[in-house]
Amino acid sequence: MNVFLYAFAGYVVLGTVIALMAMKGLRTQEEYYIAGRKVSGVVSALTYAATTYSAFMMVGLVGLSYASGVGALGFELFYLVGTLFLLSYYAPKVWEMAKEKGYITPGDMIAERYGREVAVVMSVIATVALIPYLSVQLIGVGLILDKTSAMSFSYGIAASAILIALWAFLGGLRGVAWTDAIQGVFMLLMAIAAIYWVHCNGFADKDFFAEVTRLGELLVVPNSVWTPVKFVSLTLPWFFFALTNPQVFQRLYIPKDRASLRRMVILFGFFGLIYTVIVTLIGLELRTMTEIGAFPRVEDRDAVTPTLLGLMPPLLGAAISLSIFAAAITTANSIVLTLSSMLSRDLFGSERVGTGRVIIVLLTFAIALFAYSRPNYIVELSVLSSTILLAQLPLILGIFHFKGGAKIAGISTLLAGFTTAVVLSFAKFSPLGIPAAVWTFLVSFVVFFAASRLGI
Amino acid sequence: MKLLEGAIIIAAMLVPFWAIKSYDMTTYLYWTAVTAAYLIYITIKRW
Repeated sequence: MNVFLYAFAGYVVLGTVIALMAMKGLRTQEEYYIAGRKVSGVVSALTYAATTYSAFMMVGLVGLSYASGVGALGFELFYLVGTLFLLSYYAPKVWEMAKEKGYITPGDMIAERYGREVAVVMSVIATVALIPYLSVQLIGVGLILDKTSAMSFSYGIAASAILIALWAFLGGLRGVAWTDAIQGVFMLLMAIAAIYWVHCNGFADKDFFAEVTRLGELLVVPNSVWTPVKFVSLTLPWFFFALTNPQVFQRLYIPKDRASLRRMVILFGFFGLIYTVIVTLIGLELRTMTEIGAFPRVEDRDAVTPTLLGLMPPLLGAAISLSIFAAAITTANSIVLTLSSMLSRDLFGSERVGTGRVIIVLLTFAIALFAYSRPNYIVELSVLSSTILLAQLPLILGIFHFKGGAKIAGISTLLAGFTTAVVLSFAKFSPLGIPAAVWTFLVSFVVFFAASRLGI
Repeated sequence: MKLLEGAIIIAAMLVPFWAIKSYDMTTYLYWTAVTAAYLIYITIKRW
């Protein structure tokens, strides 16, 4: 039995005990999906951070920084300042409305303004957008565990799927938030351990700031990878992530009071800044080490972190692998729980917690099945998720800023945005050189305003 | 006022695309500093 499996066994037991403790009193949907609106600021911040920052950070972003340089930091920090900007304005309004009117899902807010049918369409579109994204999380974790000989690909998928469903099923949002909080701290500590090890091994007797200049154009933007068009196409959907992704939007309902909501946003900001800086610095340090011959040249950017883990002492490698696993689980079970709330409440109109629990199991099964089969189009669909979700933006902003717009405006906006995102992305077509994300953004707003002017 | 705040932060984040061309960690440190400054602003302002 390798070191990872011992650590994994402890992780499973701890998480399951926490989820069981959280089960007490989960009788209503308000308790089950938003923890009765009684979550402290610190736990809210950690669950927000752990939900947002997936395995992409320690795998995808390390590799992206290694391959494309400093633009990866700009892309990720654009997301963070966008989130802080939006939350410092909208979060208090959303929280007040949700508390006053008893909203549980993001769809409840949409349904009240635009009609229940719009919330139904939104729940379906969110599910279609997020299932491939979740499957890619599982695939990523399965590959990491397989490459580091911690666990085979199939077992990695199965273990992830079981934990995602189990902890959400048992403890609802309270269980997810508590386990997220512990895992969020663990993710940050392991990122610090990773950068410390990389720095000690690569730059003990060298000056990083002097050596990094070897990276040349990777240290400026735009460069051959980060063209302005690519930067905008990746950044635009992420800038609005806090409003368009239901799993984080629903977290605006959970703080126990206004002070806790504020603390959630601020602490999340500090977590995000520290985590992003560390992760991108790992990528830049490893690339610099490659240039001075202290780290192998890795052509596939997704293989950078597995290569690093293979060079680390087994105990540290196992701990960091576990933190990557935790990052995937915390993101996935939060999304599954939110989707189950939207499907059971908005789509099926159920007020029962049991319906949501059944949907959690079915959704997780579908995600695992997708991950096992690894269809060719799954990566494209996953990348597409944030672009598809942009279609909701006019409706959400419309609640706060525009009086017009009703059922037809809502449905047509969602369908037009969804269709634009899917067609342009699959056809790999960028009319006038403008990327699909920008077209989706423009088409959704144009359709929304046009339909609103007609009063429909 | 909020729109102006948004325009300023976006403009500040875009500065490296046209104003920073040195092949060292300047862009990296600039983006980190701007984000940290905005985070501190969010922390101390009333909202």
